[in-house]
Order: sequence, then structure tokens, then C-alpha cells
Amino acid sequence: MNLFCYQLKQAYLSLKQKPIFVLSVVSTMGVTLGALLCVLTLAYVMLIKPLPYPDQERLYNVEHQLISNENAIDGRAFTYPNLMHLYNQQSLFEQSVLMYVDGGVITSLPSEPMVAISFITPQWFSLFSAKMAIGRGFEESEKVNSYNPVAVLTYETWQNKFNGDINVLEKSLTLSGNNYRIIGVLAENNIEAPLAGAGFKTELYLPWDYNSVSERERKRWGNDDSGLIYVGKLNKQYAEYSKPQIDQILTKVVNENWQSKVSGHDFFKNWSIVLETQTLKSFIVSDGERSVYLLLIGSLGLLFIACANIANLFVSRTVERQQQLAISAAVGASKAQLFRNILAETGLLMFAAILLAQVVIFVGFSVLQYYLGDFLPRIDELELSAFSFSVSILLLILLTLTFSHLCLKMINYHALNATLQSGGKGIGIQVSKRVRNILISSQIATATALVFINVVLYKDASELVNQPLGYQTNNITSVVLALPNVESEIKAQKLTALKAELLAHPKIKKVSQAMRPTGFGTLALTASETDNRYTVLGKDIDDQYFSMLKQAIIEGDNFSAADIKDNRSVMIVNDIFARKLAPNGSAIGFKFKNGVEVIGVVKSINMPGIQRIDARFYYPASLARNMLLIDQHQGQIFNRDEMIEVMKSVDKKLSLFTFTSLNEYKDRRLFSSVTTAVTTLVLAILTLLLSGLGLYGILNYSSQMRRFEIGTRMAIGAKGKDIVSLVFKDNAGALGIGLAVSFIVLLVLYLGFSDSLSAYVNVELLPLFILTLGAISLLSALACYVPLRPFIKNPVIHALKVSE
Amino acid sequence: MSTAILLLKNIGKIFETEELETHALKSINLTVNKGDYVSISGPSGCGKSTLLSIMGLLDVSSSGEYFIEGVNVTDLSLDQAAEVRNAKIGFIFQSFNLIDELSVFDNVALPLRYHADKPNNATIKKRVIECLEKVGLSHRISHKPNQLSGGQQQRVAIARALVANPAVLLVDEPTGNLDSKSADQVMDVLDQLNKAGTTICMVTHDPRYADMARTKVQLLDGAILQAPVAKMVG
Repeated sequence: MNLFCYQLKQAYLSLKQKPIFVLSVVSTMGVTLGALLCVLTLAYVMLIKPLPYPDQERLYNVEHQLISNENAIDGRAFTYPNLMHLYNQQSLFEQSVLMYVDGGVITSLPSEPMVAISFITPQWFSLFSAKMAIGRGFEESEKVNSYNPVAVLTYETWQNKFNGDINVLEKSLTLSGNNYRIIGVLAENNIEAPLAGAGFKTELYLPWDYNSVSERERKRWGNDDSGLIYVGKLNKQYAEYSKPQIDQILTKVVNENWQSKVSGHDFFKNWSIVLETQTLKSFIVSDGERSVYLLLIGSLGLLFIACANIANLFVSRTVERQQQLAISAAVGASKAQLFRNILAETGLLMFAAILLAQVVIFVGFSVLQYYLGDFLPRIDELELSAFSFSVSILLLILLTLTFSHLCLKMINYHALNATLQSGGKGIGIQVSKRVRNILISSQIATATALVFINVVLYKDASELVNQPLGYQTNNITSVVLALPNVESEIKAQKLTALKAELLAHPKIKKVSQAMRPTGFGTLALTASETDNRYTVLGKDIDDQYFSMLKQAIIEGDNFSAADIKDNRSVMIVNDIFARKLAPNGSAIGFKFKNGVEVIGVVKSINMPGIQRIDARFYYPASLARNMLLIDQHQGQIFNRDEMIEVMKSVDKKLSLFTFTSLNEYKDRRLFSSVTTAVTTLVLAILTLLLSGLGLYGILNYSSQMRRFEIGTRMAIGAKGKDIVSLVFKDNAGALGIGLAVSFIVLLVLYLGFSDSLSAYVNVELLPLFILTLGAISLLSALACYVPLRPFIKNPVIHALKVSE
Repeated sequence: MSTAILLLKNIGKIFETEELETHALKSINLTVNKGDYVSISGPSGCGKSTLLSIMGLLDVSSSGEYFIEGVNVTDLSLDQAAEVRNAKIGFIFQSFNLIDELSVFDNVALPLRYHADKPNNATIKKRVIECLEKVGLSHRISHKPNQLSGGQQQRVAIARALVANPAVLLVDEPTGNLDSKSADQVMDVLDQLNKAGTTICMVTHDPRYADMARTKVQLLDGAILQAPVAKMVG
């Protein structure tokens, strides 16, 4: 033990003399290990760690699938009556939770803040083991159809919107004209199950009865709504049931009832309902799983390259230490003692790297939570934990032993003594040409594969970011209003007055009564002549919409003011839908069974961040529609406060729900693509840099080992170009093998994941692949040339000298 | 009248560091004529090897002028110097400097591979065998250097130095890494080559071998101690 402490002390003193070496090893390994540990912890939290709810293995999400007469899944969301039927009639689950998410404006607060609302049934509190800071959660008194107007705040809402008022209980808040009595505040450490997607953070909980699904929609058996969520806890007695059994039982409950309810509708002839369960854990992580695996592959690739680089540094360091090791051997150190000597130094370095990695993890978690919180579920649960600590220790031990073993392998113990007698020409410590070539090939294979994958992802993401949208976003703001609960006609009057006031504002050029251009609902249509059925995305707009957004009408007419005013049965379709309706002719005049006629064809728009273009149609909006688009004059900014001022001048009861520019919507939708583009570009550059450093390290070491040979060749007449050509030829084999291996790896990846990758792989990638090969080859050529420069650009004697 | 193969005029060499300036060679004047056998000797650190490096265009002088066969080679570019070394100079190093991965044949053929005339393989083979025969190693043509004794390795190095028909052989401590028997054999080979007309300039600190040369140059502290002394032959 004393000897090992002594060796640790000696290792520390020795490393103090080599700050650049220490900095290179600790920074490279610290950052790379930090990144890997971040991703590993993320993978653990998302894929392995149990959900923080009691009996989480018995929690299931139920998906409602609408199966068309062609046996295709037409929709994956519940219809309201089916959801309620399942809730009331099923017996598989001992507890069931219904949830619907929406937003609302708390008009009783002076700032009229918009809040994210979850409408839930009472068992939500026990199912998710919700702890209360004060008050109570929903109980029997808030069961379905009780219509008890109460509210529960989240801790953040209590603190931020109610200033942590200790007397908040029994106070009331007003939403959409309804008053709710506050009965509880959730505890600070409550972990919300991300049922409505990773980005949705509930601020206010209201009883299920008050969800914003309209009375009309609550009775429609054919209209699904993606906001409707069902989670159940499987009864213990059914715990042994297989998933198909559970699905079958639930499907039977809903489908039979549904069939009887829609039997009078021709549209749903031969349609059916299938319910499919998924454990809550896999439901929550489903979308994020692919991202986590991609991150894992990326960070493992980076670690591999970093390890190869650091291995090269350790190789050089061992060569550098050969005199010291030779003296130790000469005075009686055994091979095991030399190993402990090396182990002490390597261990110290890896320990420092792991410490740095903890800082990187800490920062990494914050970065992940900040940037990916809206995209990856459970990211709030990331923290320095027993898991990250254990993996850190494991990596510390593994890397220390690996690098120490590598150094030891280089030492020819019996030749060390000869080192002392040979003027230090390096016969005691050597890395075989085979090992060097393996290092070069593996470095090149990893770098080529990683760079190519990143470049492909970058190309895909940047194409999405840069694709023309086909509509104007500059200077246009999308507004959603919270209207008082009054008759439609009164709403229409208020909105007409508001539009007039807005148009009179000097900053405003145009106003359209419509939702933002990316917002669509799904509607079912049946052709009147052919009985063909269509499930298409549609939205309601006014006559100003297309001209404001500069979306071109390519055939027929726009809506007239009279079409809007009289709510006429007309529609405008996009060119995709027009081709579906009339593949060989004009869609103008096409009629549907509900009496609606196509009067115009408009050019399709691209949704930001989505490559696919769907069939869509537009129909006249009601004058009571609570959504506006406001086009401002060039250089003018009409802000939220000005909007509120105009609204209040029309009616004090009007509230502003959202006020967001189209550019902001576009940026939000493109966030994922922009993040991918930036991340992949950075990763590609980082990979090139790291592998460049690694290759330089190996080839520099290789050149140092060959300096006498190089010197001799030059002494007998070889020119600089002869030496460069010799080294290039010597390494061409390793380069070729590396490139071939990378090609095989990519091919295996493609064949293994062809379903997921087919969207990315096409003939256009060939130039990219050639470009990647070119970049890696150039990098390798540079890595070959740079270490030779000191030899070929100086008199030959420099290469022939024993030490420089 | 003798023809000067190598002519050094006031050659000086200064090694500079941030703190120190070392005059390794001071105004060296030396002529090596065709057919000469010159030994350069002196104590350790006197500048013998530095002088040989400059004579072999492995290093550049800090001052003075240097001529090989009447051509001023003082300021040649690195590539020009490589061509001159290949065509005019044969090197023999103390530690042989053979390339372990190459066979004896390939080691000896190496200077011809870099030769400006680009001789064909048949010419190279003929020439290599001739040179190996001169040093008595034609039967070791396929061996690798590490399969040979030290003396044999040095003889291979001599064959390599001869293969491109150089104007002069520059020899640096040829026996430094050899036992006395092998050393004697190597010196015999050099003696035979000189007698056959090869010009040799040799650095050695062994007085016995220095005496074998016809002209002896003594160096001390970077300067020639006395005018070259020519030994009477015959």
C-alpha cells in the first residue's frame, strides 16, 4: 500500500512536468466521458428507470384506432363518446384516468395570464401518487358529471401567478366566464406524467366535466380528438393477461357499442374500432426512443475516437518514459511493478477526467433540459445519481486498466536494459506496424461512418429548414381570443367590430379571420357522385386569408365576402386534393354529399419541418371564429399590449389567449430540424477534428519511430517528395481498409434499419459519400504529411540525430 | 596533378541556442583529391561528425564555401543537395543504418531507386550483385539485416554506399559498433576499395585505423590542428 501511495505521488510529480499532455488527456476524456454519461443517464431515465408512480408496471395507455373499410388505420385518437363509454363500462382497470389538455386565460388575475390546463378525473391523484403542498386533490365530489367547479394549482402556478399566497385556498379564479374555487396546490416535487407530450407542462387542473370539448362534439361518434387521453391501472387479477387479450377485451367493449351507434351512417359502413394498449412507460418514451439511440451511437462513436486519440498519447508518453522505465527495470522493478507504476499515472489522469466529466454532466443535464425539454420525455428527472456515479466508477476502472494494459503491451521488458546501452533508440518500447495500422484503420472507419451519418442527417435537416413554405410569415401575427360565453351572433358582432378597430390602427395593413396557416383539423367527406370517402385536413378561413399569406390560387376563385357572411357551402382545395378528386381534369365544381362544392384550387403549402405535403381543403369561417391573423405594415410592430388595448376598447370582456408571430410558430416547428442541423454539423466537424488529431498522433509517432530510416533514405539521395510518397504508400493500405470497413458498417446499418433509413438513403447521397471519403482521405494525407515536415524541410542531419 | 573532389574553404559551423553560441567548426580549409584516403580524427566533441555531415551535405555550414568536383554546393536547395548526395557521395554510418524491413538486395539497391537516371531493374540487379561481390556478401542477397552479424551489416552498408558509383565515400566511425575482428574485416574492405581507386574520407577516433589512411587530418575544438599529413605510400 505504501509503495502504491509512493507511486501515486511520483506519478503526480511526473505529470506536473507534462501539463500539455495532462491537459490533452483530461480535457478530451473529460468532455467525451461527460457527454457519454449524460446520454447514458438519459437512456437510463427514459428506457430503464421505472416511472415514479405506484404499480407503474400495471399502468397502461389506451390508444383508440379508427379502422377504415380498407382496413387502414384512419385515426389514432379517441372519439369523445367512445372514451366515455370505455370509462364507464370497462372492468379490466381498477383505476381509470381521463385527461384532456387545453389552454385558457385566467381573467380574474390582473395580468390575464394564459395557462396550460389539464381536465382530469379524480383518480388521477391516486394513480400518479400526487402529493399536495396544501389543500386536497379531486375526490368523489369531483367525479364525472358532478360539475363541481373547483381547481388545483401546480406549485409553480401558485408561486408565479398567485405569489405563493398562503391563503389561496377557497379563493376563486375565472376562466372563460366560469368561476372555479381553488381547493389545493400540488407539492413542489410532484412529477407530472407527460401524457400530452414532453413539452406540455400543466399549470392548472380542472375537473373533467369542464373540458373544452363542445357539447356537439361530445355526442359525435365519428370525430376523433387527439387531446383525449385514457390511462388505466390494470386490475391485479388480470395482471397475467397478455397484451392481445387485454386489447381484445377492451376493443369488444367499445367496438360493439360503436357499431350500433354508427349503423345508420353510410360513411362508417365496414369501419371498426380497435383499442390497443401500451404500458405507460413505453407510451411516454415512444417518440424519444429513436433520438436516445441516435445520441448513444453518436456519443459512443465520439468516445471511441477519443480513446483512440488518447491511446496514441499514451503510446507517445510510454516511449518518452522508456529511459525512466529502463532504469526502474535495471534496479530490480518487476514487470508487475512497472505495471503499477503505469497504472498510478493512468489512474490519476482518468480520475481527473472523470471529475471533469461530472461537471460536464451537470452542465449537460441543464442544456438537455433547456433545449430538449419539449421534445424528450422525463428529461426533468435527469440528475447526478447513483446510476451516473456507478457508471463513472466503472468507466474509470475500465479505461485505467485498458490504457495501462496498452502501455504495458508496448514494453519489451527484456529489451529495456538494452535501451540504456543503445543511446535510447527505442528498442525497448515499440508499437508494431500491425497495431499502428489497426489504430489508423479503426480511426478512419469510425470517422468516415460518423461523418457520413452526420452529413446525411445535416443535409436532411437543412433541407427542411430551408424549404420554401409557400406562404408569407413576415409581419404577420396569429391571435387567439378568449370570448365571453355568449350567443354566436353576439360573438360575431364583437369580432366584426374588433376587426374594424384593428384595420383602423395605423400599424395594421390587413386582418384575416382564421387560424395560423399550420393549424388544421381532420374532417371526413364523401363524394356525391362516386361515394368515394376522403379523410382530409381542413380549416376554416375568410376571404382575406390567401391574399394576406400570398398563397396562390391556381384555378377557380377565392371565397367572396358573401361566401363568408352567408357561410355558403363552398370550399377551396389544395392541388394535391384536387388531383385526388379529379385525376384527369378540373376539380372545380366537384360536389360532396354534404352539399359543399369546390370553387377554387390553391397551391399547396409546406409545413415547417415536414417534407410530406397532405391533401387539404379550406372552407368559410364563421364570423364568430375567435382566431385572427394580423398583417402589419413593413417595419411596424403591433405588440400584445396594443392588441389588448384595442380589444378592451371594443369589449372589456374580450381576453387575449395567444399572440404569436408566424415567424415564431415557424421557428418552433423548425426547432427540431435546426437543432439536428447544428448538432450534426458540430458533430461532423468535431469528429473530423478528433480523428485528425488521432491520425496525426499515430502517424507522428510512426514517423518518429522511422526517423532514422527517413534520415538514411534522405542521406542516400531520397528527396522530400520521395519520403512523402513512401509514407503515403505505406499508409494507403490502412486508409483503404478503414474506408472499406466504414462502407461495410454503413451498409450493415442500412440493411439492419432499412425501414427507418429508407427515407434518408437515395442516389443523391453518392456525391456526399464521395465528399466524405475525400475529406477523410485529405485529412489522412495531411496527418501523414505534417509529421514529416520537420524531416523533409530541414537538413538531413536532424532526422539522423539521436535526440532532438 | 591531383583533381580535387572535395574542396572546403573557410567552412564554419555555429550551433545557436537562446543562451549559447557554440562554434563547432572554425574556418576549415580542406581538399580531398581523387583517390585520396583521408582520415579525420580528434577527441570527442571536436567537430569530426559535424565536418563529415557538412561534407556529405547532410547539414549546412554557417560560413565558407564548399565545392564538390569543382561545383559550388554551399547553397543548394534540399532537393538539389539530395541529388548531389545520391550521385556523388556514398555514406557509411557507424550504426550501419540499414532498413530492417528491406532485404540486403533492396537495402543496397535503395540509392539507385532514387537516382535521377531511373535505371531499370536489370541494371539495378547487375549493379547490386557487383557491389555485394566486392564486399563478399553476394550469398546473403535475400537476407534481412537482422539476420546478419554486425560486420556483415556494415559490409552491406558499404555495398549500398558504392552502388551509385559515388565520387567519394564518407565514412563515419565505421568500426564503432563492431568487434575487433569484424572491424578489421571492414577496414580491409575499405582499404581494398581505395586501392581500386575509390576516394574515401573517414572519421575515426581509433588511431590504428586513422593510420591506415594516406592523409590524416587532426581536429581539435573545431579547427584543424595541423596541415593534413600525407603518408608516404610505397
